[in-house]
Amino acid sequence: MMKPVIKCNRISIPSAQESLLDVDVFIEGILRGFGADESAVANIAISVSELVNNAILHGNKSASDKVVTVTISKSNDCVEICVTDQGSGFDPSNIENPTDDANLMKEVGRGIFIVRSLMDGVEIEASDRGTTVIVTKCIQ
Amino acid sequence: MIVLEPRGKIMGGPDATLLHDKLYEFIQQGRTKVVIDLSRIEWMNSTGLGILIQGYTTLRNSDGQLKLAKVTDKIQSLLTITKLVSVFDAYDTVEDAIASFN
Repeated sequence: MMKPVIKCNRISIPSAQESLLDVDVFIEGILRGFGADESAVANIAISVSELVNNAILHGNKSASDKVVTVTISKSNDCVEICVTDQGSGFDPSNIENPTDDANLMKEVGRGIFIVRSLMDGVEIEASDRGTTVIVTKCIQ
Repeated sequence: MIVLEPRGKIMGGPDATLLHDKLYEFIQQGRTKVVIDLSRIEWMNSTGLGILIQGYTTLRNSDGQLKLAKVTDKIQSLLTITKLVSVFDAYDTVEDAIASFN
């Protein structure tokens, strides 16, 4: 299995959940360098873990020849993070509301909902060549 | 009666597997009254919430119960956002959670 590759503000990982911790260490370290407080660090780290989980499991379907790439940048006190997979894309309008009575006791299906709740902005760019989710959070 | 004290972050990798496996190890032993002390969990994502729901459902189907204790502000916030706050019994202390079984 390939090892995580870090270059400047970008980390690329294999499609394996064992690499989630590598992404978390990378993202939290940069966020603290940006001056984010611990609550913001946790909210962003939770959101990134959701997106990377989705990219590994639903985007790349854990394929060993596909990678997930995470980039992070800061502009005007706001952090932007992009999570990109190499899957075949998905239709975000098909995401069900996990707080509906019919979905409340389901074990899965809360990831994007939680990301939308914790972050200031969420954009999903899906195509048949992969999906990129761009999230933003102002930290000051 | 079992009290689990998971630590760290639950995000979906080996961390999640460990909590899931420990929970089911006890259930299979017939120990169906479980308290999870969440005070040492830095944060969890939807994978962690899914494990809690799975444990809650499995225990309920086995005539058991899952109770939460010492829920941190961060996890409480997630439970509120997802409306799972209406599902779980949560207590300020482990002792209160244990007493609630009686």
